[in-house]
Amino acid sequence: MRLKNTFYVIGGGGAFLVFAVPLLWALFRSVQPNDVIVAAPDGKTFFDLTWDNFRTLIEGPGNLVRAVGNSLVVAISTAVLTALLATLAGYGFARFRFRSGPVLFALVVVSMMIPFQAILTPLYLEMNVLRLTDSLLGLVLFYTTVNLPFGVFVMRNSFASVPVELEDSAHVDGCGTLRMLGSVLRPLITPGAATVALYAFLAAWTEFLGALTFLTKDELYTLPVALVNVQAGAYGEINFGSLVAGSVIAMIPCVVLYVGLQRFYVSGLASGAVKG
Amino acid sequence: MSTAVRGARRRDSGSRRAASAGRRVGQGSLTHPSRTGLLLVSPAVLFVGVFVLVPLVFALVISLTNWPLIGTVKFSGLKNYTAIVSDAAFAKSVLYTLLYTVIVTGPILVLGYALAVLVRRKRRGSTVLRTVFFLPFVVGLSTLSFVTVLEAQPDSGLINIVLRDLGITDGTTAWLVDGPLATGLICVLVVWAVSGLTMMLLMAGMQAIPREYYESAELDGAGWWKQEREITIPILRRTIAMAVIISVIGSLLAFSQFYILTRGGPGTDTTTVVQYIYNRAFVQLQLGAATALSIVLVIVVGLVTAAQFRLLREKD
Repeated sequence: MRLKNTFYVIGGGGAFLVFAVPLLWALFRSVQPNDVIVAAPDGKTFFDLTWDNFRTLIEGPGNLVRAVGNSLVVAISTAVLTALLATLAGYGFARFRFRSGPVLFALVVVSMMIPFQAILTPLYLEMNVLRLTDSLLGLVLFYTTVNLPFGVFVMRNSFASVPVELEDSAHVDGCGTLRMLGSVLRPLITPGAATVALYAFLAAWTEFLGALTFLTKDELYTLPVALVNVQAGAYGEINFGSLVAGSVIAMIPCVVLYVGLQRFYVSGLASGAVKG
Repeated sequence: MSTAVRGARRRDSGSRRAASAGRRVGQGSLTHPSRTGLLLVSPAVLFVGVFVLVPLVFALVISLTNWPLIGTVKFSGLKNYTAIVSDAAFAKSVLYTLLYTVIVTGPILVLGYALAVLVRRKRRGSTVLRTVFFLPFVVGLSTLSFVTVLEAQPDSGLINIVLRDLGITDGTTAWLVDGPLATGLICVLVVWAVSGLTMMLLMAGMQAIPREYYESAELDGAGWWKQEREITIPILRRTIAMAVIISVIGSLLAFSQFYILTRGGPGTDTTTVVQYIYNRAFVQLQLGAATALSIVLVIVVGLVTAAQFRLLREKD
């Protein structure tokens, strides 16, 4: 027992450092001026901390503020739309019997197994025809689709665990389908919907390949794609200070949402939220 | 089989399903009319249809043509597929992706398992540890890759400074312009970033194993490793396979960390399959060829999933 505790303290402490230090280090780097970051460490200047990197991001030519705004708009819209559509579909699949039900549900499940990375080319051509490339709306629709199968799955299970009797008595009181969803069922399925929204937000916020493919205009770039421009020195010389400050901004919502809503995140993992 | 019999069957299975759901909610249900059901699911089904199934079918069509961005589309039969066989650059990207997958899968599982063992029981600090171990995964590989870019710089990056101070290198290594070095760096980054996911998946399984199993094993004098080998691993075989499948699929589809850190270079030395297809489609604009490669990728990822599930079932 003693030995096990020693192992826990040493192993846990060591692993804590391995996982926490690089993230804290990035935070520290973001308040170092660019010329210190690119130089060999020198004790005299190493701790000259400044907000310059963040100021450059806001005032500089890269217009990262706009990219953050784009990312926020896309991620929030994706979260709301995914949760809404998944809730409606989850209710339909869990409670209603209709002829095409099983086939349609199978369709949604099968689409879970098709990685979007593998259908990117035809998807790009189709979105082009629909005028959804170079459009934040297009990106939202795409991200919503990527997150929907898992969302429908979670919401179907949420509704299935609510007793049918509850709906019957509300129906006797003259409650229609939408009011049923909005008032009687809402408190019971909120945890499921929160899980779906959380995953959709984080997936949209961190997604890279799709945004890189579907967006070509600077002013529409989401944060990860805008950071590629910073990294490539598209705005003059490469500014590592801006790059690390932008990365820190990209991390903040992930850390805050995960730490704050861990309960929902973990329950999503159990339902197969992550595909790789 | 006659339609009447089939119809009766369907009704039968329908009512059985409804009965198992608690009570009858069949087609004639007043509270749950079937048309409302169809209406409720149709937006989601429409999305999946338009953005997953249409592209998939479209892919089959495109892959049989030359499909230029400008100009007339020419049917080319199976030419795009037969060309894959002699496409040395594609073969290189496939081999590279497989190599990468082979390198990272083991360490991700071992590290993820070790972390899960560390935090599976409720102890002082275990919740904090769990959160911290999982944070890199939540932050995501693309953001972590951007940070790695500056820490991999010669003379100034943290990686080089630490290695120099440990006396291992002289601190001038240019990690990102050398194939093997960049591969090594990316593998370390990925193992660090995603083993938290394996930890979470395994931990959930471990917590479901009754404690008595371990207590009686301890009475029999079984040590820690013996308990893991004879209790945890056999019980968790499915969960472990699941975690491995998820990590293998992620590796086969790897893109952002390579794109950000090396752009697939130097030359095409670190070009993964997804990046190769991306280049063919969006840099060289050979959409027909790229789509044929995509279909190969869909099939390969599908087969890996199926093969691993099969392996899992056979062992039972």
